[in-house]
Amino acid sequence: MRPLLIEALVKIAILIAGLMTAAAYLVLWERWIAAWIQDRRGPNRVGIPLTNIRLFGLGQPLADGVKFIFKEEITPKHVDRFLFFVAPLAIFIAAMLAFAVIPFGSVLPVEGSHGPIQLVVAPGLDVGLLYLAAVGSIAVYGVILGGWASNNKYGFLGGLRSGAQLIAYELPMGLGLLGVAVATGSLRLEEVIRQQAQTGMWNVFLQPLGFVVFCVAVTAEAGRLPFDLVEAEQELVGGYHTEYSGIKLMMYLVSEVLHMMTAAALIVILFLGGWHFWGLTGCSQEVTWLQAILRVLVLGGKVLALITFFMLIRWSWPRFRFDQLMGLAWNVMLPLGMVNLALAAVWLEYGPRLSAWVGLGSGTAQAILGWAALLVSWLIVTLIVPTSTDNRARLEAQDLDRLVSH
Amino acid sequence: MQTSFAPIVLLLIATSGLALLLLLVANIFNPGRPGRVKQMPYESGMDPVHDTRRRFTVRFHLVAIAFLVFDVELLFLYPWAVAARPSPADAPRGIDAAVATGLIESRDLVFVGVMVFFAILALGFLYDWRKGVFRWR
Repeated sequence: MRPLLIEALVKIAILIAGLMTAAAYLVLWERWIAAWIQDRRGPNRVGIPLTNIRLFGLGQPLADGVKFIFKEEITPKHVDRFLFFVAPLAIFIAAMLAFAVIPFGSVLPVEGSHGPIQLVVAPGLDVGLLYLAAVGSIAVYGVILGGWASNNKYGFLGGLRSGAQLIAYELPMGLGLLGVAVATGSLRLEEVIRQQAQTGMWNVFLQPLGFVVFCVAVTAEAGRLPFDLVEAEQELVGGYHTEYSGIKLMMYLVSEVLHMMTAAALIVILFLGGWHFWGLTGCSQEVTWLQAILRVLVLGGKVLALITFFMLIRWSWPRFRFDQLMGLAWNVMLPLGMVNLALAAVWLEYGPRLSAWVGLGSGTAQAILGWAALLVSWLIVTLIVPTSTDNRARLEAQDLDRLVSH
Repeated sequence: MQTSFAPIVLLLIATSGLALLLLLVANIFNPGRPGRVKQMPYESGMDPVHDTRRRFTVRFHLVAIAFLVFDVELLFLYPWAVAARPSPADAPRGIDAAVATGLIESRDLVFVGVMVFFAILALGFLYDWRKGVFRWR
């Protein structure tokens, strides 16, 4: 076998083992955070089996996994059996495939098949961002097919709704990706990180508007609260996976956690500098072992911090209503994303000349422009589309506004 | 560096294998005691009244069409995003290379073209907005 393939196989083994473990323990982490916020103890009893050692409940994910395997799996009579089988597979495999181009570190100081070993499964893939957009879209199939095949009213309504939500938020996500692609001039994620590390200016400082749009969009794509309409358990029981049980349900749940990890990793890589941290990791492609390990730790730490932030949001905010959700996607996030992209394009063409004319550094001038755009667009949005920021029903809001103005 | 899709194919095979293995293992250990009531559609304990495959609101269809239009238009912008980055004069690439070889007159022409494309996109968006495609109540 060629060394390239052996290298890839080793990375794939590490990736799959790491992702499965991380997904299991993130569920435990989420339950701990929920318990902390709701002032209760949370899972703290499962430890080493057949002993009294509890280990703070660290055995809980293993117990959950075993239970999922031994749980009775019911395939109801009325379902479309083939689609019912395919849908969880599609969403699970697509969620895993997204990690093929997401780097989990920088490079190792070891010679591989082509130069130093890169810590990403498919190094040097020139269509990285496009590939992510493509693979991310497959999740819609998992959701809609699952809801349709279930032939259950809750499942069907949940599938329709989440399908509409996922495709609506894919546009702002694409616009955020494009803003970064314009600024970087490359679709490779390693290149995006490398440029941010070299200038030391993360994209969040240069394109704050794009950062906000992208964050909201990927949160909705991952189906996290406050965009949790994918499984509105109060109104639709389980949404599209109402009829699923056993291992197929586990595939849906695991891919949800995987989506959250993808979302956090993408935000970190595209906007928060990836493995770069000022004065800690350096920015060259030749690294020492210490630097290589530090970079992996910095990237992991940032991703974990963002995931924890997602979880804090989930347990402290209420959910959007469906019309608010769609209104936010189409009336607010899509125009804002277009404004951000247009600004990025103008800056690409005239930015250096403009900043030289003003007499500021290129990065500083772009950052000022970006933050001004964020402020102005936020003001405009709150003035023009009050229902997107207001929890009152629209008619009621109009009546109230009329009363106030008279 | 050369681009290779081989690792992605390997990852596809590995994850499919993992998923199928999980299904197989669960199928072996699954107690599997189906019953007539267990296999009914779940409707919060009520007997199901009719089939699910009925008419539903057309708004989902409208949103899907709007999505298709905008998504495809956005896809056209990716090649421009990669090609538009200014490159050094001694090693031009992308649009700069096209300008250097005389294929395009100037960078400004490309910029104006992209902005016109963008304006058309925004116009389509405004039309949809005024037509109430995005209104959900």
